[in-house]
Amino acid sequence: MVKRIFVQKKEEYDVEAKGVLSDLKNNLQIKNLDDLIILNRYDVEGISDKAFEKAKNTIFSEPQVDICYQEEYPKNPNDHIFGVEFLPGQFDQRANSLSECLQIITGGEKLVSKSAKIYILRGNLSHEEVEKIKAYLINPVDSRECSLEKPKTLQEKMTKPEDVKIVKGFTEMTDENVKEFYEKYGFAMDIEDLKFCQKYFRDQEKRDPTMTEMKMIDTYWSDHCRHTTFMTKLEVIDIKWDLLEKIFQDYKKSREYVYENKKAKDICLMDIATIAVKELKKRGLLKDLDESEEINACSIKANIMVDGKEEEYLIMFKNETHNHPTEIEPFGGAATCLGGAIRDPLSGRTYVYQAMRVTGAGDPRKPISETLPNKLPQRKLTNEASRGYSSYGNQIGLATGQVAEIYNDGYIAKRMEIGALIGAAPSKNVIREKPIPGDIIILLGGRTGRDGCGGATGSSKAHNSESLKTCGAEVQKGNAPEERKIQRLFRKEEVTRTYQEMQ
Amino acid sequence: MEIDLDKVPKKYEGLDGTELAISESQERMAVVVAKENADKFISLAEEENIETTIVAKVVEEPRVKMYWRGKLIVNLSREFLSTNGDVKKSNIKVLKPDYENSYFAKKAESNDIEKTWKETIQDLNCCSQRGLVERFDSTIGAGTVLMPYGGKYQLSPQEGMCSRIPTLKGYTDTGTIMTYGYNPEIALWSPFHGAVFAIVESITKYVAIGGDYKKAWLTLQEYFEKLRDDPSRWGKPFSALLGAYYVQEKLGIVSIGGKDSMSGSYNELDVPPTVVSFCVGTVDIKNVISTEFKNKNSKVLILRTKLDNDYLPDFDDLKENYEIIHKLINEKKVISVSTVRNGGIAETITKMCIGNKIGFKFEKDIDVCYPMYGTFIMELAKDVDIPKAEILGKTTDSQDIRIKNTVLDINELIELWEEPLEKVFPSKVDIQKEKCENISSNKKQIISRTIKIAKPRVFIPVFPGTNCEYDSTKAFQDAGAIVNVGIFKNIKTNDIQDSIDEFAKQIQDAQIIMIPGGFSAGDEPDGSGKFISAVFRNPRLKDLIHKHLYEKDGLMLGICNGFQALIKLGLLPYGDIMEMTDKMPTLTFNDISRHQSKMVRIKLVSKLSPWFSQIELGEEFIVPISHGEGKFVANDQALKELIENGQIATQYIDLEGNATYNIDYNPNGSVYAVEGITSKDGRILGKMGHSERCYTGITKNIPGNPDMKIFESGVKYFTY
Repeated sequence: MVKRIFVQKKEEYDVEAKGVLSDLKNNLQIKNLDDLIILNRYDVEGISDKAFEKAKNTIFSEPQVDICYQEEYPKNPNDHIFGVEFLPGQFDQRANSLSECLQIITGGEKLVSKSAKIYILRGNLSHEEVEKIKAYLINPVDSRECSLEKPKTLQEKMTKPEDVKIVKGFTEMTDENVKEFYEKYGFAMDIEDLKFCQKYFRDQEKRDPTMTEMKMIDTYWSDHCRHTTFMTKLEVIDIKWDLLEKIFQDYKKSREYVYENKKAKDICLMDIATIAVKELKKRGLLKDLDESEEINACSIKANIMVDGKEEEYLIMFKNETHNHPTEIEPFGGAATCLGGAIRDPLSGRTYVYQAMRVTGAGDPRKPISETLPNKLPQRKLTNEASRGYSSYGNQIGLATGQVAEIYNDGYIAKRMEIGALIGAAPSKNVIREKPIPGDIIILLGGRTGRDGCGGATGSSKAHNSESLKTCGAEVQKGNAPEERKIQRLFRKEEVTRTYQEMQ
Repeated sequence: MEIDLDKVPKKYEGLDGTELAISESQERMAVVVAKENADKFISLAEEENIETTIVAKVVEEPRVKMYWRGKLIVNLSREFLSTNGDVKKSNIKVLKPDYENSYFAKKAESNDIEKTWKETIQDLNCCSQRGLVERFDSTIGAGTVLMPYGGKYQLSPQEGMCSRIPTLKGYTDTGTIMTYGYNPEIALWSPFHGAVFAIVESITKYVAIGGDYKKAWLTLQEYFEKLRDDPSRWGKPFSALLGAYYVQEKLGIVSIGGKDSMSGSYNELDVPPTVVSFCVGTVDIKNVISTEFKNKNSKVLILRTKLDNDYLPDFDDLKENYEIIHKLINEKKVISVSTVRNGGIAETITKMCIGNKIGFKFEKDIDVCYPMYGTFIMELAKDVDIPKAEILGKTTDSQDIRIKNTVLDINELIELWEEPLEKVFPSKVDIQKEKCENISSNKKQIISRTIKIAKPRVFIPVFPGTNCEYDSTKAFQDAGAIVNVGIFKNIKTNDIQDSIDEFAKQIQDAQIIMIPGGFSAGDEPDGSGKFISAVFRNPRLKDLIHKHLYEKDGLMLGICNGFQALIKLGLLPYGDIMEMTDKMPTLTFNDISRHQSKMVRIKLVSKLSPWFSQIELGEEFIVPISHGEGKFVANDQALKELIENGQIATQYIDLEGNATYNIDYNPNGSVYAVEGITSKDGRILGKMGHSERCYTGITKNIPGNPDMKIFESGVKYFTY
């Protein structure tokens, strides 16, 4: 059986509802909105009456600040009521924590629970105004309006997934058919890549690929993962500016020095970006650089004095953007910007202790009515993104030493969300060996869900007015406490010395 | 590599092979372990409450194979995957940027200094972002050398960040600096110059903090429009990267990493050509300095870097300036340094003045609102001769900035500077409250130890979401205690029972129980400390806590999230775990309805608790806070009793030492400005301020004493 409970903050403590009310009145300009009530709704299945009673005043609510209603809550006939819940498959920290807290009371299995937010709007509001409020409060990328009816069960009906499909006839497709196939599945790679795959399967594997293989290649080759643009060979270079032409010639001289007799790399953006470090390294000027085959983060060596004794430390730093996910779902996008960036120095076995956040936005003071179609208002973007990033950083326990937002109207095209961080660990703790046959691969941490699919490919696609509607599965909500556990694990010397490589 | 996707743990059923193969997440990782180490690794992970699964093995054959429901669904050669697909080609076209209308050729539009100055500091890219910055925890890890805003008033923005390198045991004076640089206006005019000045800006800031430019490293973030097939669009990142190459060669500082994002377009709208430069290096934190003016009547100099005809810095001049500044900082001849950027001297001087509200008088009339890069303004410790630098003026004891005949009031400038984004990122609250009363209790410590213990044991429980246990452990170890950390597990069926058994044992062994800060279970569902309180409401643990306090003469401490848990158990202020009623005090959401992180002043107003035995009644401290739910609330009756009993231990105070409701000093709106309370006998202390983050040598840009000697006091209770 499902038990349902509604929790409302007492008026004097209801900072959230007051904030939303003032936001709707002042920024969304809903003048006739007189009052707004927010209720947190929790559904739990399979909990005993005794445990439920126990949880009422300790987990669901606190009698000092909350009012608690079981099954029904007081309402007026003229109230406009709607509820919001996360899309199925999105990580809901509130419901997850509820289940974990309840489990301590019951001592048994983790119970299934769900959370939703119920909004009660009061005032002489037109249908359009109510719809406008809904559109403002519900981001369809991660949430939806929920039913107000209590479900019979919270167990999702899961149909057994079908077998993975084989792309029949792929190797034999004509260019025309490849194009159709490409458009049907919305790949992030371009059509030339797809033809490249076709050739590989036809000539080497001599079979048709599975759909999994195609999606995997698409992820692996996305601009996000392989820097397609940066690796593009630059052919005709037409510079009509003496100064730049001279510097370009210098760059070519650097190339000659670096590649000498070896086969030179193509001239590409990546080569221009990395030639200076290659040149200075070859000249022997970068003694403190820490080099390895792992390429997760920048790494330097530093001898530091710890209580008067010298120790060699590795310092790793890393910057990462999550522009696309933050643009469509700012809270989760910015949170995972940080979470994802932490993962890299962490996988280099260093403990991340310093973070910087640099973002780019349009003027957030502009009225909401000036927002471009199918875009979130800048004000909402910047506020939700900062809430997401700070919530993740504050939870995982990472000191954010500098936060700066750069304003330029160009960022209305897409927000910039950069996380940059530093990690450190004693060098002796970082063992790097090449994996050998027989080694075991262990997966650890959070479980796999549908929300992490397509992050890499999604951020690499070109975007247009439809983006906000179709990218649902591409955003994740991070689980900071879970990543924090991994941080603790890898800070242990005995742990970092038991494995060789990680991703 | 052979992967068995059926082994991958799932959040819910119904995921198919493709979804399992491509889903990614930051809280999930894969490690390669030698076969003989696998069991050890798994057991170490389980100790940390982490689920582990062996999903794959490394094989000889250079192929990636994935099995799902017994079927081979992926079978690809590594070589093919590593080709990264088809080789792409493109062309480049670059024109000379418009030198006539260069970013640097712009002139101030008006001769009215006052008007130009005020417009400059109200520019969106200069104005205060404090309401944004304070949402981020800036002090966890107890290593923050520079707070984001410096000075007594915590208003002067810093050039970058600096933190002590974290060591599990012991301390080091080596810290790391990171700064950034980027100005979209330069990049829009010339992407080449945009990258050049992004790097120069980041290194200049790094040097201003105390970094040695010869030991600096860079990492760049590129963010550009979709390039499509247009050679002119391709020309933008091309020029920018040549700009970056040029500076690296000129300065001998290299970028060893970076990321690119090349999708910044929406229909016809493009992001500006963006190269954000991050500069990183190590530094002796004893030599780190901050931006805010420290003293009155100091001589203030400016050290400029020349620009050539191509609007590029003269790199020899720049390097010389970096050397000069670095030497001055290390010789302690300068006490404040700041760089000049987009908003010119006006921006820099304003920001240096406001932190301590120290005034400034210009020596002569100069152009103050003109952008400059590679330029430093410094406050001298004493009068030293620096031939290359020019005298800019002097700090003064009046709270104003004087240039020629213009007088700008500092308090007015602060208001103007904070105004533009205040509505977007509020830093103030619109709540009127009556005057806050100062408390001073004459209660003395009423408990005393029964048995002397040379090294008391501290039990620190760690819950999912706890994050202050490292800092708390060190604080107690430094004070001479033995610390045992216990992790609460809840992954496997028996975990909860096993954890309760483990906690029971630890509580029995300990003299002190300390619940550290963090976000247990993410402070959900909608309220802090609920997970912790659910654990301690377990009848066995409840009983043992009672015994710990009243039979074994034990002490208890909770900071931040730990304080919230103590209150939600009834341990504070009642000294026992009990059912909650609506009459009891609690901690709830900050008035400002968001996280607050900064330093706050507090005063000891009762000596009842042994946790304060080493400090004096009325003593004032400045401690870091970082919380979203720190507002202490209680009804009049409960408050009256707490005050009478001397249970209110500390109050938030203003600069005059008075308890206050002003949000600049009372960060959450606590009634009676309560920061910490104790149980009736003083055995249990809960406070919001993170005293465990107060190791000396950090938060260098905030004057005041952070050390309340709480941990020493707790230990001394048993050893003295």
